[in-house]
Amino acid sequence: MKAYIRSAVSISPQNTFDNSSFLNGLAEYQGNRLNCIEPDYNEIIAPKLNRRMSRLIKMSAACALTCLKDAGITSPDAIITGTAYGCLEDTGIFLTSVIEQDEEPLTPTAFVQSTHNTAGAQIALLIKCNYYNNTFVSGGVSFENALLDALMLLSENEQANILAGGMDEITDISHTILSRTGLYKHGPVSNTNLFLLNSKGTIGGEGAAFFLLASKPSEHNLANIDAVATFYKPADITETAQHISSFLAAQCISASDIDLFITGNNGDAKHDKVFAQLQQLLFDRVPSANYKNLCGEYPTSTAFALWMAANIVKANSIPAILGHTGVTKNKINKVLIYNHYQNIYHSLILISAC
Amino acid sequence: MDTLIADLKVQIATQLKIKNIKPEDIGDDEPLFGGGLGLDSLDVLELIVLLRQKYKLKISNAEDGQHVFRSVRSMAEFIKSNQVQNQ
Repeated sequence: MKAYIRSAVSISPQNTFDNSSFLNGLAEYQGNRLNCIEPDYNEIIAPKLNRRMSRLIKMSAACALTCLKDAGITSPDAIITGTAYGCLEDTGIFLTSVIEQDEEPLTPTAFVQSTHNTAGAQIALLIKCNYYNNTFVSGGVSFENALLDALMLLSENEQANILAGGMDEITDISHTILSRTGLYKHGPVSNTNLFLLNSKGTIGGEGAAFFLLASKPSEHNLANIDAVATFYKPADITETAQHISSFLAAQCISASDIDLFITGNNGDAKHDKVFAQLQQLLFDRVPSANYKNLCGEYPTSTAFALWMAANIVKANSIPAILGHTGVTKNKINKVLIYNHYQNIYHSLILISAC
Repeated sequence: MDTLIADLKVQIATQLKIKNIKPEDIGDDEPLFGGGLGLDSLDVLELIVLLRQKYKLKISNAEDGQHVFRSVRSMAEFIKSNQVQNQ
């Protein structure tokens, strides 16, 4: 079960949509909320078609269409998306309308587009793709489950081209609710000092990233997805380390074969210890890098991490803004992404150079 | 009537999130569906709710809807005649 990443496109709080440069400079944010830097959607999606789309749908559709264009494919054989929260903006509009209109009949658009599979469906409508279309809503491993589905489809049909993506948005309502749960830091914070504060909470983020996956090699491929795995609520660091060792052993490699360890550190003193412990236990000689100071914390942030990792492998260099630690090897062959969302959903994505 | 038509154009543009055409550029007799506005069946539902929320009017059957939603002027005529009846 392997897949080549033929193209990858991301809209994030960094300047990522324009693939002409790769994380050249850090977009700095004050406060605990990072919002995406968005392109002019009218240049990508006809105004008549995008007028009804919410921000998340536009972000997803713009990434998907550009991803297909970059890969030279007009219509894929499957569209698979992963999202934990779905179209929150339309959900908020719909629920607010229910109250404001005193439960009288409402306009249908917000309701119709509040479902989780709207983004995948809108992409299919835009490109008139009537094939397999699936959306995974699995909390902090929604994107990983979309990837696993894509890998399984590719193992069944080696000719297939699969469009897979992960996306989640942050809205005023969701930011308020998640702040109440203690997910975000209180007080002054910036994405530039996220890992220095040693306090509870993190910074909220959002983003969309799409990938064209194929099982056939091509000179244009960015990287290869070797394996994806998830695990749920490990008891302790020992169990987490066992999961990782087993995952690597299944790929006939060990921790020392990893050239870059990308971690889901999010600056939350409550949950970040595991990353430092793993660094000591398994990856003491492996360079490591964080990514959530770039995109913030959200359940499908690994889609951004995969976009970043694929570009690192393709460019064979680690952008300076990642502030990675350790001595990098001459050739970055294998990159492991390890993330957890609120120490509940844990995931591993292993990619390698083509 | 002219004021009602002008108001309706703004309300339609807002409700249907039409951003590429200014409300005043929508023709009084321009077909709302099948024309340059690019409206579809979901927009019919939006317009039904618009009439209900703004003007307290209901479309009694689907056949009426075809005439009412032909153009901005036909919508305005429907509103004017039914509001007179309601009064």
